[in-house]
Amino acid sequence: MSLEIFWLALLGLLLAGYFVLGGYDYGVQMLHPFLGGRGGGPGAREAPPAGSPPTGRNAALDAMAPFFLGNEVWLVAFTGVLFGAFPHLEGSLLSGLYPLIVAILAGLVVGNAAVQLRGRARGPRGRRWWGALIACGGALPALCWGLVLGLLLHGVPRRADGSFHIGPGEVLTPFVLACGATTALLFAAHGAAFVALRSAPQLAARARLLGTTLVRATGAVGCLPLLLTLFGAGASPVNRAASAVLAALLAAALAGAWWCLSRGHHARAFAATSGAALLPVALVGAGQYPYVLKASAGGGMTLHEAVTDSATLTILTAFGVVLVPVILAYQTWSWWAFRGRTGRRHPSYF
Amino acid sequence: MSAADLARLQFAATTGIHWLFVILTMGLVPLVAILHTRAAFTRDPAERAARERMTRFWGQLYVINYAVGIVTGLVMEFQFGLSWSGLSKFAGNVFGAPLALETLIAFFAESTFLGMWIFGWGRLRRGVHVTLIWLVALTAYASAYWILVANGFMQHPVGYEVRDGQAYLTDFGALLTNPSALLALAHVTLAALTTGGVFVAGISAVHCLRGAKERDLFRGSLRLGVWVATLASFFVIIVGDLQFPLLDRTQPRKLAALEDGGAPWHLWLRISMDTMTIIGNTVSTITLVAVLLLWKDWLVRWRPLAYLMAAMIPFPFIASAGGWAFREVGRQPWLVYGELRVDDALSPVGTASLAVSCALFIALFVALAAVNWTLLVRFARRGPEATQLGATEPLPDDLPEGGSGDAPGGGTDEKHPVPVF
Repeated sequence: MSLEIFWLALLGLLLAGYFVLGGYDYGVQMLHPFLGGRGGGPGAREAPPAGSPPTGRNAALDAMAPFFLGNEVWLVAFTGVLFGAFPHLEGSLLSGLYPLIVAILAGLVVGNAAVQLRGRARGPRGRRWWGALIACGGALPALCWGLVLGLLLHGVPRRADGSFHIGPGEVLTPFVLACGATTALLFAAHGAAFVALRSAPQLAARARLLGTTLVRATGAVGCLPLLLTLFGAGASPVNRAASAVLAALLAAALAGAWWCLSRGHHARAFAATSGAALLPVALVGAGQYPYVLKASAGGGMTLHEAVTDSATLTILTAFGVVLVPVILAYQTWSWWAFRGRTGRRHPSYF
Repeated sequence: MSAADLARLQFAATTGIHWLFVILTMGLVPLVAILHTRAAFTRDPAERAARERMTRFWGQLYVINYAVGIVTGLVMEFQFGLSWSGLSKFAGNVFGAPLALETLIAFFAESTFLGMWIFGWGRLRRGVHVTLIWLVALTAYASAYWILVANGFMQHPVGYEVRDGQAYLTDFGALLTNPSALLALAHVTLAALTTGGVFVAGISAVHCLRGAKERDLFRGSLRLGVWVATLASFFVIIVGDLQFPLLDRTQPRKLAALEDGGAPWHLWLRISMDTMTIIGNTVSTITLVAVLLLWKDWLVRWRPLAYLMAAMIPFPFIASAGGWAFREVGRQPWLVYGELRVDDALSPVGTASLAVSCALFIALFVALAAVNWTLLVRFARRGPEATQLGATEPLPDDLPEGGSGDAPGGGTDEKHPVPVF
């Protein structure tokens, strides 16, 4: 296996990891007003016991809290590897999709800060404001990542000087918008599956019902990009066979998620929504190979053009083979240390 | 404003504000780690509980500041690709590697371990929990190192050669041992410790005025803060001076512009440099006197002295902003000194997009800074009683017998809640 492929796979792993982990964060952020708020958490329906401080803890946010900081850094690592191993792609991709990347970042800044600072509010009013920012900060990145996926699947317009550039005309197409809506719904369903897995039975049951509806909606809206592609107005994959297989797997993951959620198999349902969240990354990576950034008029930037010099790549590889297993090990450790369902016994900080 | 001006303003404003969070994060985390370690090694349970409460109090302030620091840091990782894609076209082969390694070695670990530390109170074994905060501290400084390796390359490019208009890495060792990076790391580390020490000393001094009980609680952190600030602010000046011979050798135009009244950017450089040196010397002198006044608590017996300690808190931030401005403004018009001009590195992005993103990011970051400092002041004032970090709420059935506001908070070795999966 050549080093280029290894680093493309690593880049894909980091982005897929971010879609799975950050994806449920955004889902939980979008759904937290409906799950785990008033009438949500265990025993939250009763009036708070006399003498206890009015805390306003939210059971849905509690569910993701210990993992939240560790989830978002997958995106940071993705960007770092993008810059280190694929500097030419980094410059073209981020500046080419400028408005969308800025929107994603603005959403991330607001959402991340709100999740971490909501608990510091003085009263219910302040918490409501932070809560609104948390929900918007989840919905905006989810939607915009979907738009980015749609553009990457369809191809990005390229100017004569070789630079990539998008305008409103490219984003506001039925295919790209449908991809955005599908991804936002998918992340919401994934978040619901996560809350179902992590929470006490009463909340888990509510999350399961909401998740089932959302998976169905994802499937329904997800038919749109598929139909548009079949009629020639959507994705233009380079590798048709690989794309068809991955799209079929995505459909199967959604069907599996619906089956497991409606039957109460929470762990399997979460595994299925995780698969559905990471498959779009594989669809872009494998479907467009050897292009890493496909131009809408055909052609594009190939893997070989995007990658850094071989001397640099060799040095990075020496670090990578040590660092990646270490990262996976301590992330796994953090998941293990905070496994199990959350309840009021857990320190709630966020 | 031209597109280049907007992109420059966006980068300068976001980096500048991000830096104000970072320096406090870096300054506080070793102190929190020291306090946590001391608490963990205390035998007497009551004494240990008190020390753990103090750890949680300072940890709370640290974590509030970190929350804002990490979100602004997220944006920083994207900035080069967004508005300066010419940098990755020219120097991506060299410049990208340290940034990639920073995310994989440092940022990733720091964030994951901090998440575990925040939620580990009463859940993780005490030794593991203390190790986590030390790992957070270590990775915070590792992060600074890799960022300064990248920045050092912009100031004084080494270990590369240019072929066909592109830089190629030839000597990775030279990149890692770039004197411009190493000296800056030492200077920044000491500046951060000064900032953290002054922050802790100032808040502790004001709390000490509130009565004998508070004074007993805050005496330890007052001493720690004053000592750290004194030592760090003494050496920060020395290391700062050590950089002049290097500048003379590697960036002669920066020094020339500092002295020559007619040079472009002269006034900026002069003001930044003077702000930094005046504040540095003043803080160093005051903290040195404060160390002597620690004897028999003289420092907090006379109110104005304690308030002076608190009033000193903003100044290290201003000084470090000055130092940062001197380093980066003095580099102009180069992005990579002597190799790539700032104007040639601009992304092909429209002025309108840049104007919108520039206004958006500056507004968001200023709002975050305001929120951060409001919360820091509020939680610093309320004192350890109101700390939320690591506090467990009393359960309804706990209330009759327990009743204390923040019950088993500190890393007790009791049985963990049994996970039901």
